[in-house]
Amino acid sequence: MLMFALRRILVSIPVLIGITMILFIMLNVVPGDPVALMMKEHASPDVIARVRAQMHLDDPMIVRYFRFLANALQGDLGNSIKLNRPVTDLLLKAFPNTLMLAVCAALVSWVIGIPAGVLSAVRRDSLIDRFFMGFSLLGVSMPVFWSALLLQYIFAMQLRLLPVSGFYGWKYMILPAIVLGWSSAGVIARLTRSSLLEVMRHDYIRTARAKGLRETGVITRHALKNALIPVVTIMAIQVAGLLSGAVITESIFSIPGVGRITVNAISSRDMPLLQGAVLFATVLVILGNLVADILYSVLDPRIRAQMKKDA
Amino acid sequence: MILTPKMKLLLASGLASLMLMSPALAENMLRISNTEDPKTADAQMTTDLYTLPLNIFDRLVESETTGPGQSSLVPGLAESWEVSADGLTYTFHLRAGVKFHDGAVLSADDVVYTFDRMLNPATKALNTDILTFIAGAEDRLDGKADSVSGLKALDDHTVQITLAQPYAAFLALLAAPGASIYERAFTEAAGDQFGLTPETTNGTGPFILRDYTLNDSQMLEANDDYWRGRPELDRLLVRVVADSETLRMLFESDEIDVLDLDYAPTQTPYFYGSDTWKDQIRSGPRVGIYYYNINQAQKPFDDVRVRKAFQMAIDRQTIVDKNFYGKGKLEDGVMPRGLTCYAPAEPIAYDPAKAKELLAEAGYPDGVDITLSQAANWSQKWSDMNQIVQAQIAAAGFRATIETPDEATFMAARKAGETHNYMQVWSADFNDPDNFFYTFFSESGSKSRAYNNNDPEVFADIVKARGMVDQEARCKLYQDLTARIVGTDAAWVPLFSLDHNYVVQPRVKNFVVPWNGWSDMSYYKVEVE
Repeated sequence: MLMFALRRILVSIPVLIGITMILFIMLNVVPGDPVALMMKEHASPDVIARVRAQMHLDDPMIVRYFRFLANALQGDLGNSIKLNRPVTDLLLKAFPNTLMLAVCAALVSWVIGIPAGVLSAVRRDSLIDRFFMGFSLLGVSMPVFWSALLLQYIFAMQLRLLPVSGFYGWKYMILPAIVLGWSSAGVIARLTRSSLLEVMRHDYIRTARAKGLRETGVITRHALKNALIPVVTIMAIQVAGLLSGAVITESIFSIPGVGRITVNAISSRDMPLLQGAVLFATVLVILGNLVADILYSVLDPRIRAQMKKDA
Repeated sequence: MILTPKMKLLLASGLASLMLMSPALAENMLRISNTEDPKTADAQMTTDLYTLPLNIFDRLVESETTGPGQSSLVPGLAESWEVSADGLTYTFHLRAGVKFHDGAVLSADDVVYTFDRMLNPATKALNTDILTFIAGAEDRLDGKADSVSGLKALDDHTVQITLAQPYAAFLALLAAPGASIYERAFTEAAGDQFGLTPETTNGTGPFILRDYTLNDSQMLEANDDYWRGRPELDRLLVRVVADSETLRMLFESDEIDVLDLDYAPTQTPYFYGSDTWKDQIRSGPRVGIYYYNINQAQKPFDDVRVRKAFQMAIDRQTIVDKNFYGKGKLEDGVMPRGLTCYAPAEPIAYDPAKAKELLAEAGYPDGVDITLSQAANWSQKWSDMNQIVQAQIAAAGFRATIETPDEATFMAARKAGETHNYMQVWSADFNDPDNFFYTFFSESGSKSRAYNNNDPEVFADIVKARGMVDQEARCKLYQDLTARIVGTDAAWVPLFSLDHNYVVQPRVKNFVVPWNGWSDMSYYKVEVE
């Protein structure tokens, strides 16, 4: 297992370098000058030219790229052009907020999604099934900004139970976690349902039933363990996605997280900050996939056996 | 009444939860918002978000709002000044006993240091434009000198600034937020971190920066030792709220005290029509002008007749009425109402029939295809206005398409002088016509803002006006320039100036819309009950 994890981590290094290179080239191809964007309407050509030179933005691309790479290898992602703060600091300060949001949203989506999927599968084509599937369809298809506004209006404006936006304690986490969790819950519920229905057709389920096990036992002990394998993969990747920043949710609820930093970096062509944010997101996605693979092996003995053989 | 211990406990817990729920009720705090993080309090490093500099620092002179859309220059850190007869030497006498937030006393050396810091290439300042008139400034900026020859501390309380050539708007420029004064020892020690955190920010202003959470909020606290007397407020909370719907809900659920309707313009009719809020609206004109840029480097706008037709084909009053609920006035010149030297210009009539004739004369009897441009991230109001204009000018024969490149692409094209006609607004940074004329119609401005109005007489007159000391003659020249640029050259389309509307909670007192109509202002005199 350890060998497997190590090998996966080593393989991801070229992926990381490749991504930084592609990003660097793309950002240099698209038009846009970070200094002009910082100055907005007050951009004056003389000042822009001078400040660009002072920031070494006029150096050849290849020089800038290798400067970035050399510094990154020493753990220095440079300074944000617009915010004039170390990129690592900015990301590390924003990450706990995003982490909290991601964990809460993931919990909401699992707590709702998995039971909803199981109930729908067990009571297939019943009213419960239709209700949960309708509910999850709504979650998947409703844009986050819309569900956010709706919930803000009901719970903050009308009922005055929760704050509208901000990030000053657990109360402020409830609405964004529900908004973000709801859309993920939809995916998880639908996947759990279809996967469980698939598993329920297998012979070993018939055997379990034939030996007189109660239906609850059949589902929880036999069916669910196998049905959850694809769900776990999605869950791990979803968490990685959530951690790299839930842009719209963070904007609407004014949460100072990684997503907002990334979007600001894109729109202001803040190259060092964007490089840092993308590297960060890439690492998270790679780790998410790794965790999914490891969980797979824990849940599925066939994969565990395959891993041992490979190692 | 005698309170039992149980009642006391209940009362205490009730009060505590009230304080937690609504901090503003518990203390004398004003809660405002901005759509973006200001990034820094250092006024030399920003060109657009000035709430922090305007409240944390002071300037040698200040622009004080004297009435709706009107201002006058009043003494700030300098209690008096003299200008030499040739308009080249400014001598400022500093106020005695002014203290920075860290307790240090302001001296002339701090002023010299502050301006030298701005021009020092190592600072990479963005606001250098306001000091380039000082003798030796260009050499310092280019790294050819270690100091600025035109900056001198004559003694502890006297600063002498010598200009390279007379510049009539210099005093007005020194009242701009970018000219905020810093303390040498503190700022040198803070290095490039100055203004980024409460620990590395220090000014003489009415408020002290106490907390700064990036992308979330900034908390300012009253400066008890402020030289003009302590501000009325104990605290000022600036929250970063990017979404306009969220902002409105925050205001209506009493989590924000001031709602700037510039950040939520579509809510204007709602608040004007609301019995609860209509009396809480605070409105004022702004010294700013909405305009259409015309790029003469692109056909068919190389022909003055087409440009004139474009001016006449836009029904500006309808835009004010429909898109801004009638809260604005038409402008016909380069200078908006409230600006020094303003005089009404020759009105531009809305006349689609005449515009059609002019197009035919210019060789487009069957109309002409044109493109209007706007950056994709500009707010909804710009696309609404462009669409209404697109429909209006069709009557004169302009078949317009609207392109929406992303902001970076748009800015890059504009810098190269290659954008299509675009609509924008410019509000005065300082109360002088040079802030408008030089920005748009000087030789560098005309190219970098994609006008390409290559009129050598206009270029020469704009440079001449900068140095004129006789204010009356100078104003006359700006009025003549207006007639030439808008009338003869038809180089841009003046549209209108709009009122700036705010809604404030009933407990907010003394809220005055600043003279320039900016969203950023000093909250020194504002009170909450």
